Formats: sequence, C-alpha cells, structure tokens
Amino acid sequence: MAESPDEKADRIIGKAIFAAAEFQQFDQEQTDRIVEAVYKAGLNARISLAKHAVEETGMGIWEHKMWKNVIATQLVYESIKDVKTVGVISADPITGITEIAQPLGPIFAVTPVTNPTSTAMFKILICLKTRNPIIISSHRGAAKCTTEAVRICYEAALAAGAPEDCIQLIPSGSRDFTQLIMAHPKIALILATGGTGLVKAAYSSGNPAIGVGPGNVPVFIDGSADIPFAVSNIIASKTFDNGTICASEQAIVVEEKTEQLVREEFERQNCYFLTPEEIAKVEKIAITAEMSMSPFIVGQSVAVIAQKAGITVPEGTKILLAKLNGVGKDFPLSHEILAPILAFYSAKDHNAAINLCIDLNYLGGIGHSAGIYANDENTIMKFSLLINAGRIVVNTPTSQGAVGGTFNLLPPSLTLGCGTGGKNITTENITAKHLINVQRVCRRRLNHKFIDADQKSYFDENCEESVLTLEYHKNH
Amino acid sequence: MLKFNYQKAEKQLTCYFAGRLDTIASFNLSDELYAKLNTLRGTDDPTVMLTDKINFDMTEVNYIASSFIRICVTVAKQVPRGNLTIVNCDPFLKKTFKIAGLDEIMIVT
Repeated sequence: MAESPDEKADRIIGKAIFAAAEFQQFDQEQTDRIVEAVYKAGLNARISLAKHAVEETGMGIWEHKMWKNVIATQLVYESIKDVKTVGVISADPITGITEIAQPLGPIFAVTPVTNPTSTAMFKILICLKTRNPIIISSHRGAAKCTTEAVRICYEAALAAGAPEDCIQLIPSGSRDFTQLIMAHPKIALILATGGTGLVKAAYSSGNPAIGVGPGNVPVFIDGSADIPFAVSNIIASKTFDNGTICASEQAIVVEEKTEQLVREEFERQNCYFLTPEEIAKVEKIAITAEMSMSPFIVGQSVAVIAQKAGITVPEGTKILLAKLNGVGKDFPLSHEILAPILAFYSAKDHNAAINLCIDLNYLGGIGHSAGIYANDENTIMKFSLLINAGRIVVNTPTSQGAVGGTFNLLPPSLTLGCGTGGKNITTENITAKHLINVQRVCRRRLNHKFIDADQKSYFDENCEESVLTLEYHKNH
Repeated sequence: MLKFNYQKAEKQLTCYFAGRLDTIASFNLSDELYAKLNTLRGTDDPTVMLTDKINFDMTEVNYIASSFIRICVTVAKQVPRGNLTIVNCDPFLKKTFKIAGLDEIMIVT
C-alpha cells in the first residue's frame, strides 16, 4: 500500500528525531570535526555546484554563484569554528550565571531558487555546528543542484562520524507536503528563505520559524558621498549574480543638486537610463499585475531583459535605470526586482530624499536592508535612525555588505533576519548562535538593594513611589 | 557486547548490552538479538508476536546511535505494549531515549 503524505512526513521526521537523539550525545570536538569535514567538501565543490545551479535554474552568473558558495562554506566556517555550541558555553563567577547550549531538534529548511546550493550548504553547516538534524526542501527549479550539494555535505558528514539522517532532503514540488512538514509537531524550527507565500506559511505553521522574505533596498547617495566610488560599488553589487541577492539595491535616491553628476557617472560606467516609453515596456515584463516580480526576469542579464522587453540598449550595458516620480502600485519598478534593474529618484532636498527612502523601505522591504553613501556622520545617523532595516550598510555594496563577512564584520549569512517588520524575532544575520537553546544556571546572588530595603513600606498604601525609590537606593 | 539471561519461569529475557553502541556495533549485534528472539517465538516470522517480556539492560552502555534506537523500535513492534523495558540507563542515555520519543512506546528507566 502506498505511503500516505502523513505517514511519509512521520517517517522523515522520525528519522530526524533519532538523529537528534544521537547527535545530542556528541561533544564539541566531535561536532567540530563534522563541521570542518562538511565545510571542506562544500568548498571543494564550489565551482561544480555553481555551474550546476546556473545550468539548472537559468539564473545568475556561475562565477558569482561560486563566490556565494565560498561565503556559505569558508567564510561561514571561519565565523563559527571557534564558537562554543555544546555544553557550557560561558561561566561568569561574578554574576554566578553559567550558560549551557542545547540543540533545538529537527530543523526544517527551505532553500530558494536564487541561491540554492549556497543556502543549502550554509544552513547545513549552522545546523551541524549546533547538533541539529536538518531536513531540506529545495525550490523545484533548483532540485538537482540542491540534491547534489546535500549529497556532498551528507557524505562528508557521515564520513566524519555524524549520525545517520542528520541531513535529509525531501522531494521538491509539493507545497502541501512542505506545509505538512512545517506544521509537524516534532519540528523544532523552520528556517525559511524564499518568497512571501512561503514565509507566511512558515509563520502560520504553529512551529517556531525564522523566515526571510523579500526586501526592497533603498540606497541614498548623499551630497557628501564620493559619487564615482558609490556608483561603482552599486554596480558591483546589483550585477552580482545578476541581482539575485535579496539585499541587492532596488532604488537609488539622490538630491536634485547631485542628480546630474550621479546620472553621468552611471552612464560613464556603462549603465543605461530608460526612456519613459522603455520604462513602460520593462514594467510589463518585470512586474506582474499583483505587483510582484516576474520569475522570468529574476537573475537575468540586461541583454536578456532588454530582449524580452523589446528594447534596444547599448552593448555591454550593466544595469537598466528607471527614473520614477513616485513609489507604489502606480510605479511598478519601485517594487523589489532581483535583476539588474534599478529605480532612480531625484529629490528636491536632503529631507525629501530620506522621505523617499522611507517610502521605498515600507514598500515590501520593512526590516530587511538599506544602504547609504555619505561622508557625513550626521547624515549617516539621521538616515539610520529613520530607516527600518536590520542592516544599514554604509559606503558598501548592499548585496555583499548585508550578507556580511567580506566588506564588514557582520556574521556571514544567507539568512538575514528582518525583525518584527519582516515577522522575524531578530534583525540579526542568522548563524549558529540562533540555533541553540541557551540554558542559564543561576547561582544565588542576593540583590541587597531589594533585600535590605524596608519591606513594610511596600505594604503601606500611603507610601509613594518616591519614598520606595529612596528606600531601594538607600546606602546602608 | 551482548549477553542474554532467560528466566523461563517469568518468561523474561534480559539482554545485557555493553560499550559504545554506534552504527557498526548496533548492526553487528542486531543479527544475534533477532536470532534470539526468533528462537523464543519459535519462528523467524517477526510478525508473530512474542509473548515473553524483554528487558534491555543498559548498565554498561555509554553511547547509542540512531541505529540502536531503530532496533529498540523494531523489537517493540514484536511484543505487546509494555513488554519491552529499557532498564538501568544513566541520565545521559535516559535523555537520549526521551528525545527519540521511545518512552512513548516502551518503558525506559
């Protein structure tokens, strides 16, 4: 008799639970040996997996996907290798608090089509480092390359002594089955990276989830910025893997007084400003009627996008820029597009420019990432205090800057927390430390301010706060 | 690695395991264990329920792999509920069985 979906889910998760039971017996040394083996295997496969991903998905650039694989393996490994994740992880004799790390249990990870092999390897590494078995569901458009990445990691893990079934892959393609796994009571955590629907499903499952959905990254080029530097960084970021990183720039905002300089610099560096007629043509192929990006242009080159839109652009054009006069549904290109297309805004002054960034930020990208190019610290801080983003990267390409590990000291991660704005519990770059339960052993340390205060005063209804405050802070 | 003690009067088989029951060790002992159970039931058909009580004594065990947990589940399916007991676990092993959910289908002490 054929296995029902419920039976299949029970079987897969049952195997993960047994793996979790075995894994929690491992010490730090055994755990680290497995992580090292998996990282090495993943790093060694960086090129073949990158080429495989591009061939299968038809998205992006293999050389850039190779770098993503390097970030997901080598940089992630370097950032977590010395982190304590087993047993006692800290002990403070002054406070009397000892922290103990415990694994969470089976983690269900969903990986996207845009960064399939890198995200899979990244999630595997941080799960293994924390002794959590991982069940991966790949995007159906990237099933083969993800399967290969998982196979390479699993074989390396087993050879290093990891528990059987510590890494499992479920067949992609069935949304119902994915939701069944997500909602299974024995799943400890969902690590969901993907579109809005997927992330919403993860949060609706009833299980704890870290879901990272869309961004809509505004970048403000302030008058104090080094404009050629800013433009070259933006191009390097937005063309990286044809714009498939969700932290890639989506809109460039400048003040009127610098608009001409910025435009000329983009043109000098082989970018193209679309005419209003061309903008209308690109809108039709880039954004759907529901105001979401068309999957057919994700990760495509400018040449392919121009061909699909039926427009002619100079050969070698790196990015298409669309000057827009507003934000929202009447301006489709103001929405997130994971391809080398940028919205471009000119604001009458400094405040208007920041206001535009706020509008863009709240158009589907709350809590994700933002960028600013400026050499004035007051401007940087003003922008940062007003923008709702987990990462505000300064004078840095946002794709690489938000992912961390290369242009700054953020933890390298392919899962970027978006705070409550993105329905996340954290704004941090997700890494191993988010996949442990930290238990605190709290030894007796008396709060003498409280213990030595006159306890009777608290029972006196006529005793006001000012008296209680004095009593509490009394220096006996 | 594995010793048996069968008390005929109580119809009770105690299996004494020892050492580190990793994947290979679990695989190696499984044949011996299943053969003993077949002897008790008088057939090698595992769908025939054993009427004897089975104890797995873990006094000398310091580690179990998921493959040993699978053996426990396999044996639990061959006896009436309550007839398989895992005894003398140290707290480390007790927690391992707890995480695996085995205390839901057998007695773990």
